Amino acid sequence: MWESFIIQPMVNLLLWIYDILGHGPQMFGLAIILFTILIRLITWPLNASQVKGAQAMQELQNDKEWQEIQKKYAKDREKLAQEQMRIYKDRGINPFASCLPTLIQFPIIIGLYQAIIRAMAATPLDMLKLARTIYPFQNVDQIIPLNSKFLWMNLGQPEGIPLPFDISFLPYGFPLLAIIVALTTYVQTKLTMPATPPNPNDQASAQTAAMTGTMAIYMPLMLGWFALNFASGIAVYFITSNLLGIVQYAATGRANWRNLLPGGNKQTPSKK
Amino acid sequence: MNKKKLILVLLLALAALALSACSGQVATNNWPGLSVDGEHAYLATGSFVYAVDVKTGKQVWKYPEEASGSLLFYATPVLTDDGQLLIGSAGTNHSLLSLDPATGRENWAAPFTDAKGAWVASPLAFNNAIYAPNTDGFLYILNMSGAEIADPIELSGALWSAPVTDGNLLYVTSLDHHLHVVNPATGEVSDAIDLGGGIPGSPAVTDGGVFVGSFTTAIEFVQPNGEHEVIANAGNWIWGTPVLDNGTLYYADLSGNLFSLDTATKTQNWGTVKPDGPVVASLLVTETQIYAVAEDGNFIAVDRDGKIVWEKETGGKNYTTPALAGDLILVAPYQTEFALAAYDADGKQAWTFTPEK
Repeated sequence: MWESFIIQPMVNLLLWIYDILGHGPQMFGLAIILFTILIRLITWPLNASQVKGAQAMQELQNDKEWQEIQKKYAKDREKLAQEQMRIYKDRGINPFASCLPTLIQFPIIIGLYQAIIRAMAATPLDMLKLARTIYPFQNVDQIIPLNSKFLWMNLGQPEGIPLPFDISFLPYGFPLLAIIVALTTYVQTKLTMPATPPNPNDQASAQTAAMTGTMAIYMPLMLGWFALNFASGIAVYFITSNLLGIVQYAATGRANWRNLLPGGNKQTPSKK
Repeated sequence: MNKKKLILVLLLALAALALSACSGQVATNNWPGLSVDGEHAYLATGSFVYAVDVKTGKQVWKYPEEASGSLLFYATPVLTDDGQLLIGSAGTNHSLLSLDPATGRENWAAPFTDAKGAWVASPLAFNNAIYAPNTDGFLYILNMSGAEIADPIELSGALWSAPVTDGNLLYVTSLDHHLHVVNPATGEVSDAIDLGGGIPGSPAVTDGGVFVGSFTTAIEFVQPNGEHEVIANAGNWIWGTPVLDNGTLYYADLSGNLFSLDTATKTQNWGTVKPDGPVVASLLVTETQIYAVAEDGNFIAVDRDGKIVWEKETGGKNYTTPALAGDLILVAPYQTEFALAAYDADGKQAWTFTPEK
């Protein structure tokens, strides 16, 4: 099911774009970028709903009534939960609106990743799998193998700019793309962090802030590590996706650019 | 670490696992490579190369002794006339190694590690030189001690199959649809010959040219001057190397058809001969029988008239070309309990080999 409904359509869409572009040098990298843009456009409403939900939750942290119930029922968690649910209902806020789209997108991201890897077919066995993934209408003889050269990279291999000397832990050279992946992931995560410091009386708010903080550290490291060790086609996808995410968030006018600076979160004045 | 933070870290770890499980690394798995000499079978599979006694099926040595993250083997090991076993790694350091077939010890001062891509193809030892095609599109030229003796020749696309020679010229196929003809004496490369589809197998050398099978499903006769003609068609992609024997060309396709082509008359000798499943591996042609392994685990012996003499199920999936070791036929199924099995000409299993843990 995963194969038929996620991987196969995605691989074929990717190859179709590649074929339309003329399947020459540079075109597979371009196809990955266009494919990522297309997927981001399709999932735009989900992302928008996620951003909207997160904003609503963020604004709630500064709401007077919300802060009051945090204080009033600090020792009665059951009552606090009831009151929180009431406020959610009154304001028409769905507390899961920010995380549900992420959950829905997660399989898409994994599928996208697998589709790119499948299309690049680095080994004979991968090639055999790819051959069986392609729909009959595709121009298979001409498309395969993909021309994996893009800029200075071979998209089927980890990226690295050759160095005049050997560094044992950087077998592919200077990992420029991995650094860009980590940086853009960091920027994207930081931009979406709350503009105000967490309310010390609100446990949920404090925990959310702590989680976002953790995310801002681990996500860039994790994706940077992927870009360092895996095929550079994935790094191209990560960077494109991150940049689009930043643009999309900035378009809402809520991007908190000050968060990018050390201590920026603390200096941001509260809106209310 | 509070509970939510812990859950978040676990989710990230899960995401990492989900992504890494998709094998984005240069290469993480493939079917094994197999070759034999009078005494040993050499099996390249995963982190190790094994030497197995062909009489008993017992392990003689393995290389390296401990698995290394930078070594990954699936190219077919090659035995040279001067007694070396050459094998390329698809691991992270792209090393081409020379081992002592008797002991498994490294012969060269250091492996050759200048290639930029994984080694899928076997090298060819010819006229005291090693010609090694790499997935980075270059043909590397080394002396028999592993030192580069000429600049690598840039061909094109990923080179997945061993070069062949007619005694003068080298023929190298590429996945990017081209056949390259190289003059090893001068280093000159003729214009690449476009055959219209990916070529994962080696050509079969004949008088005045080579026979090549490709993803176009055609068998073509190609001359060194670039002239080429389709002499036969298959029903699907031709993956393995065609085998020429006394004017008859044996080959198979991914639809599972076996073909016996009279190259003089360009006519098929057989009707439909099909093992159970697609055939990726090359055929093994012996004096009396032709052996074919199919992806679905089927292993068949066919006589020269195209009659199936016997068939067996090896278990696992068969992609590796069978090898002849004296009276035994060795098969190396992928993803099954054992790594290697030996059958006699009547299809009786003589032994199986499972690597020691």
